[in-house]
Amino acid sequence: MQTVKLFECATHEWIVFGRDPDKGEKIVDTNQYLIKTAREAVLLDPGGIELFSSMLASVVHYLPVEQITHLFASHQDPDIISSLGLWDKTLPHATLHAPWIWEGFLRHYGCNNITYKPIADEGGTFKMDGIELDFIPAHYMHSSGNFSVYDPVSKILFSGDVGGGLNGADDPLFVEDFDKHIKQIKTFHQRWMPSERAKQAWLNRVRKLDIDLLCPQHGAIYQGKDIERFLDWLEDLEVGTALRLS
Amino acid sequence: MRQNTELKTTFFITAVAVSARLGFVLKEAKNISLEAMNAKALVARAGENVRTFKPITDYMVELANDTIRLVDDINREALGISKASLIALRGNEAVNHFNGAKQKAGNAIYRDSFEPALRSAEKDLHSYQQNLLRNVRRLNELLEEIESRMLAANVVTSTSRLEAATVSKLYRANFEAIVAKFEQAAKNIRAIVRECRKVLNSK
Repeated sequence: MQTVKLFECATHEWIVFGRDPDKGEKIVDTNQYLIKTAREAVLLDPGGIELFSSMLASVVHYLPVEQITHLFASHQDPDIISSLGLWDKTLPHATLHAPWIWEGFLRHYGCNNITYKPIADEGGTFKMDGIELDFIPAHYMHSSGNFSVYDPVSKILFSGDVGGGLNGADDPLFVEDFDKHIKQIKTFHQRWMPSERAKQAWLNRVRKLDIDLLCPQHGAIYQGKDIERFLDWLEDLEVGTALRLS
Repeated sequence: MRQNTELKTTFFITAVAVSARLGFVLKEAKNISLEAMNAKALVARAGENVRTFKPITDYMVELANDTIRLVDDINREALGISKASLIALRGNEAVNHFNGAKQKAGNAIYRDSFEPALRSAEKDLHSYQQNLLRNVRRLNELLEEIESRMLAANVVTSTSRLEAATVSKLYRANFEAIVAKFEQAAKNIRAIVRECRKVLNSK
């Protein structure tokens, strides 16, 4: 599994894990993010059950597992958090932050030891070992209960499915050719994002943020001018339109 | 350990298979019950002439009721096995995932940090398997109980046949028919139960 340190400062680090070579061919590729302070850590969208052993094997290169005190699930999909039952065995004392509407659903994955901390629809701030992360509402982008995560210090926005695409396992971890990349993610956004209103609400929130890296849960990471280009592109794209019924 | 767990985690299918076969046992037990009722009515009609048949019909009713109760117990046990088996299967998967991570972690600096989770998952798996084995043992015992009752029914059938031969010609054919049906039902139940035990012990 590829791992790249995205950010490092005195208080914390961001690390991305992705492009797992061991995953099944028909399993969608995902990016998992670890934010690590001196004493604690949070895994953002820890991934599906099929990815668990690769993820666990990768994170122990950076910290002892007991340092992971928090998990975050942007929404309820299996590629996001179907590994919960196994993390529950690995990190029995951890806390899972996830949209309140999914609690009863996510518990189907197995959540006997981990504490479920529901995130209210309005979002909020999460504090961990001296750092603060903002849960930005991203409802209907694509899930009906959905959050992005913003770190004002690193200026990293974890955007969940927004900006993602069904990329191949060999695709670059960072956007290299924006025009080529955008073609690959167009249908994904048109089909997976159901609401123009929700899209606009998310864009309004996100445009107020100072972003250096826009990190989706699938596909490639946006940096520099590509972030603004992506937001403009998304604004112009009519979503909820890719359904083709015969 | 892996091979061992494979042998013991597929019982959720076995339990369902046993449970499905028990439907036939229940049907046969109800047949015995019905024949016992017929026999009772016949005994009442034939009066003094066939009084030796009364304990036999009582036994048939008791046998039918006991079998129905045992089928209930077996179904409950089979459901327990199904649940215990799935828990064990999940436990087995967890151990496999942890072992997979251990292999992939290579020389990671904090590789040993999830060792307690792996140990705990192995311990859980062992406990799940013990529960499962207990349930399977209990199910075997219940099936054995039905089978031994059906063997006893054989003896009663022989006695009934002798008794039927002594009753007046007016009722003889009826009693012989009841005995034959009882015998057939007991035989069918024994065959199904044997099949269940075979399925249960095949893996």
